[in-house]
Amino acid sequence: MSDPDATSSDGATVVDDPQAPSLVERLQQFREREATVIGLTAIGVALFPWIFARAPVISDLLLGYQNLAALMLIWAIFAIGFDLLLGYTGLLSFGHAAFWGGSAYVAGIVSLRVSSDPIVMVAAGTIFAVLFAWVLGYLSLRRGGIYFSILTLAFAQMLYYMSAAPLASLTGGENGLTGIDVSPLFGSFHLESELPMLAGELLGTWMYAFVGVITVAAVGIAYRILNSPYGMVFRAIRENEQRAKFVGLNVWRYKLMAFIVSAGFAGIAGSLFTIHGSYVPLQSLFWTESGEIVIMVVLGGTASLFGPILGAGLYLYIENIVSGIQQLQVPFTDIVLINDFGTYWHLLLGLIFVVVIWTAPRGLWGGLSDLRTAVESRLRGEDR
Amino acid sequence: MSLLADVMIILLNGLQQGAIYVLLAVGLSIILGTLKFVNFAHGALYVIGTYAGLLIALDVSLTSGKLREWGFSTIGLDLGFFAALVFVPIVVFIIGVTMERFLAQSFYDRPDTDQILVTFGIAIVVQELFRVLFGSNSLPFNQPENVLAIGGFGGIPVSGPITLPIIGGFPRWRLWVIAITAVLVGIVYALVEYTDFGLIVRAGTRDAEMVRLLGVKIDRPYLVVFGIGAALAGVAGVVGGPLSVVNPTVGTNILVPAFLTVVIGGIGSITGAVAGGLLIGLVQATLIGLPSVTLGAFTLNFSPWSQVGLYAIAALVLLLRPQGILGSEEVAP
Repeated sequence: MSDPDATSSDGATVVDDPQAPSLVERLQQFREREATVIGLTAIGVALFPWIFARAPVISDLLLGYQNLAALMLIWAIFAIGFDLLLGYTGLLSFGHAAFWGGSAYVAGIVSLRVSSDPIVMVAAGTIFAVLFAWVLGYLSLRRGGIYFSILTLAFAQMLYYMSAAPLASLTGGENGLTGIDVSPLFGSFHLESELPMLAGELLGTWMYAFVGVITVAAVGIAYRILNSPYGMVFRAIRENEQRAKFVGLNVWRYKLMAFIVSAGFAGIAGSLFTIHGSYVPLQSLFWTESGEIVIMVVLGGTASLFGPILGAGLYLYIENIVSGIQQLQVPFTDIVLINDFGTYWHLLLGLIFVVVIWTAPRGLWGGLSDLRTAVESRLRGEDR
Repeated sequence: MSLLADVMIILLNGLQQGAIYVLLAVGLSIILGTLKFVNFAHGALYVIGTYAGLLIALDVSLTSGKLREWGFSTIGLDLGFFAALVFVPIVVFIIGVTMERFLAQSFYDRPDTDQILVTFGIAIVVQELFRVLFGSNSLPFNQPENVLAIGGFGGIPVSGPITLPIIGGFPRWRLWVIAITAVLVGIVYALVEYTDFGLIVRAGTRDAEMVRLLGVKIDRPYLVVFGIGAALAGVAGVVGGPLSVVNPTVGTNILVPAFLTVVIGGIGSITGAVAGGLLIGLVQATLIGLPSVTLGAFTLNFSPWSQVGLYAIAALVLLLRPQGILGSEEVAP
């Protein structure tokens, strides 16, 4: 910055003071502030359904609809929680379907038998997920590495088979849990009804607002955890578990806590899923559901706050919208590339997933942030 | 029927159910033990085995899927079951070897989680390929009637009931599954325990680096181990296919019990895989076979718990003996 030529070349005015941060650095500081993260998330969540489902040209191109927007946020909450475990602590659980599906069932059963208040349902589902994770984590974390993956997988499958047959009187067995009622939020706002005025145009339904507020809160909580000393320990365990142990940290306790916190997120999401769909399929406990969340998080990008959200959105988009596309055409022509394009959606997703793991283990968000770093260093280089 | 006959039937059913798990678990276990590679695509190899067996043995009429749209209303070589039993392991062996060369090798140095993720992705791709080609409907895999029926020789009957002492009628095919498994696992065991090839493999399980330093080219034995593991999964697909329906999701359904068998038995141990598979199979068959108990107004029926029991046993074993029944502490990762 002391080079006098630089000032003349880009015409900057603040460069004379060597202590002043450059524009890029100030932008970075601004971006990393907690209020910014939460504020931007809130704005994103507020604008998303309008852009996705109602904006003039864009929504027609995207073929989006309101209901899917809310579902994307629900899975995004699940994905954020899962990334706390996979991306930050480095533990790959193949049993999160137990928390997602389990809390969905608990929320449904509570609604049928106790109270159909949405807040009670979410609370009950989340408490179940947390307590269940305590037990499962205690058992599964006895062995590390692949044992952990296999044990979580096994215990989750156990819950699946429990709800399939022995507990069928409670869970509805193969048919899933049906006939779930959700009473109005705070006793007065029907979740399916439109919000008043501008909010109605932007957010759509009370359902979306309810899910949206919880999503923003989830992002905030995750951000807090990750940027606290506690969250730093998670990362230390991922980087080198043995060293973390030698420093004197109780690694086992932190791993258990990471597992429980991530299950808590899954619990919130699972209960919201019941409220959103008024139905719990048995499939929600099967281990392929755990696989889905793994794919979402890895596709979007592990070890980032927004990667999993991106991944969840992308997965649901392919699952619900791309799968409906009948013919893939060359744009603006009638040339048909592939007939029945929609039937290949899962195959396509599997292939993308394999390619991402193989070549870019940091996922889409990792790719984006690499791009950003490259641009920033270019800008910095010109600053100098 | 006497109590003894009931017990015998439960034992035989358990052995048969366990046999399928054993075939899968032995392959998984030796791959995991020697190559330290976690293969979530093992279920996919089972699916490949089942479909390949179906297409070699029979002429299948398709009801949905792309192949039907492309004009194959029936497909298959109709060569009979024995041909399937011979050719499928070869086909799946080649697939396994290809997988090792092009997939597994680039992941040996990467974390366990990446191995799990990439093989999980491969499993999805294989499952979806079969779904696209053959449709998601279940295809019937009829039990073979006779094998090796050539000319005047009527062949060896393998289907229908067989009369056994004490028990009476028992499905003949189930006994064949047990026999085929016993022979194949015996061969693999002998190969690993009593040959020079096995010596290298076992040494590599203990300390691969040391074996390399001694000048042994360990890559080729590794390749063969992967192929053998895959071939066993293929055989499991062929012999297990006729016992249930054939559809693209059978692989994802059977993968979890197979992994459980490995973990219960102890990673890297063939005898452990056998013990684990038999334990799981017997527990499952026992819960299915137990008569319901009535306590006052409350009737306890055991068969819905059969799948749950499998996992409960697994949890119990792992709590009491984390390294598995016959696993040793130092080999397990």
